Amino acid sequence: MSYLKIENMEIAFHTLKGKFVAVNDINLEVEKGQIISIIGHSGCGKSTIMNAIGGMVFPTKGKVVLNGKEIKGPGPDRGIVFQNYSLLPWLTVYQNIFEAVDAALKNKSKAEKHEVVEKYLKMVNLWEHREKYPKQISGGMKQRVAIARAFAIDPEVLLLDEPFGALDALTKASLHIELLKLWNLTHRSKTIVMVTHDIEEAVFLSDRIVVMNNGPAATIREIEEVNLPRPRNKKDTVNLPEYRTIRERLLSLLVEKVALEESEFYKEEEKAA
Amino acid sequence: MKRAIDIPTAVAGELTKENNASPSSSRWQPVLRKMASVLVGLSYNLLGFVGLIGFWYFISLITKGELPGPKATSVVFLELISDPFYDYGPNEKGIALQLFSSLSRVFTGFLLGSFIAIPIGVLMGSNSFCRKVFYPIVQILKPVSPLAWFPIGLVAFQSASHATVFIIVITSLWPTLINTSFGVASIPDDHKNVAKAFGFSRWKYLTKVLIPYSLPHMITGLRLSIGVAWLVIVAGEMLSGGMGIGFFVWDSWNALSLERVISAILIIGLVGLLLDWGFSYLEKKVTYSI
Repeated sequence: MSYLKIENMEIAFHTLKGKFVAVNDINLEVEKGQIISIIGHSGCGKSTIMNAIGGMVFPTKGKVVLNGKEIKGPGPDRGIVFQNYSLLPWLTVYQNIFEAVDAALKNKSKAEKHEVVEKYLKMVNLWEHREKYPKQISGGMKQRVAIARAFAIDPEVLLLDEPFGALDALTKASLHIELLKLWNLTHRSKTIVMVTHDIEEAVFLSDRIVVMNNGPAATIREIEEVNLPRPRNKKDTVNLPEYRTIRERLLSLLVEKVALEESEFYKEEEKAA
Repeated sequence: MKRAIDIPTAVAGELTKENNASPSSSRWQPVLRKMASVLVGLSYNLLGFVGLIGFWYFISLITKGELPGPKATSVVFLELISDPFYDYGPNEKGIALQLFSSLSRVFTGFLLGSFIAIPIGVLMGSNSFCRKVFYPIVQILKPVSPLAWFPIGLVAFQSASHATVFIIVITSLWPTLINTSFGVASIPDDHKNVAKAFGFSRWKYLTKVLIPYSLPHMITGLRLSIGVAWLVIVAGEMLSGGMGIGFFVWDSWNALSLERVISAILIIGLVGLLLDWGFSYLEKKVTYSI
């Protein structure tokens, strides 16, 4: 019996134009402590699957089972990092994390809650910036706040919805390390499900990669195992032959034409002339 | 030389040279610049008022004094504000007493109206059932002239003074209600999802998401409401009589003193402006920037 299980799931939305099936026939099993990426083109229902695990949307067929219990709504056992940081702009960095901790960890005292906030803010190196408001910090820092907030409620499952999509490549790379660091610090016990459209990111972080078909009514196309050794680091991991093999495989699955054919190239030139 | 120590050397030479020439000029420059821009702004205002007074003078000339001119009015105006607190019985009170009476009614009505409008607005904004139930009622009652409510107020409260407060309540309600419900309804899904995902209690959602997000909208509504209330009070007091700035206007008209009427118009305008300034100051205070 696996830890997180999605069974024959279909999610459909009722729109003015009738029923719209976002994803269909989804079967997925995730072991505890694994990092899973869901990858695919825009509109393939990646986020929908994640929202179903988060309890924000409900399957129209099939079910999502976590720890033997069917998911009926959001809960503090799952921490979500949203696509666009989703910090509350009228609260400081500290308050943003504190309010989440305060709401999610009901049986802790106020002092313990403040300790938790301090611990996670220090983990992501934002303690000095705790009194700042979201608009005063950079995108990378905002995402670190959002990640710290999700970790701080000590969930068993972390759901990351295109967490690094809006960041530049350098910030992204350092946040990948930051994420793995937090995962290690919590003894690799947390299961992470991440939605992304970045192949490199998926290969570098994950144990398994779920490749989606294009929507509507998207299905799972293939699940890739990533057996790269951990701990991973940017310098060595990306040079491993296996890293390249998986990257090539994903490229060929997701990108129809990997290179511009010569004949096309000449055609363009003729047109120009 | 001492003062230039922290400044990078490239700039320092230049600055010290200036300092030697006139030590205090650089310190006063920003203040002077600010004063200059204020003076320029004031001169535009002055230009507008000079134009208006000129026009007024012109009209009073061609009506041969039917409409009192600026000079005649200013004499009466000064007389009014020189002794604003006199009290010679029920129909003979100073302008300040009349104003206080009006303002206290306006604020009573406005506060009562806000206490009704904000909760209903929050309900309408957050719950589609409430929106569907209340919206048609709002649509029908909102455009009704405040004076049409006056008889209802009289019947309900048996007192002209209470009826005036009643019409203030009923007309200053709508801008706050509509703005509040709009503010609450436009809370982005992102913020709601945060509250959902981390299991915010109803109270926490109200105090940490709903109110902070919609407060600027509410204050805009309150600002519009107090404006409406101040508009309505004059008409209301003309009907109710007894006391207040509206009654003062009507009383002055009956005494055939247009100078007093015009002075009252000026005072009403100024008080309205002050009320608006107060709320726009509040508006700026509570608006967070993203």
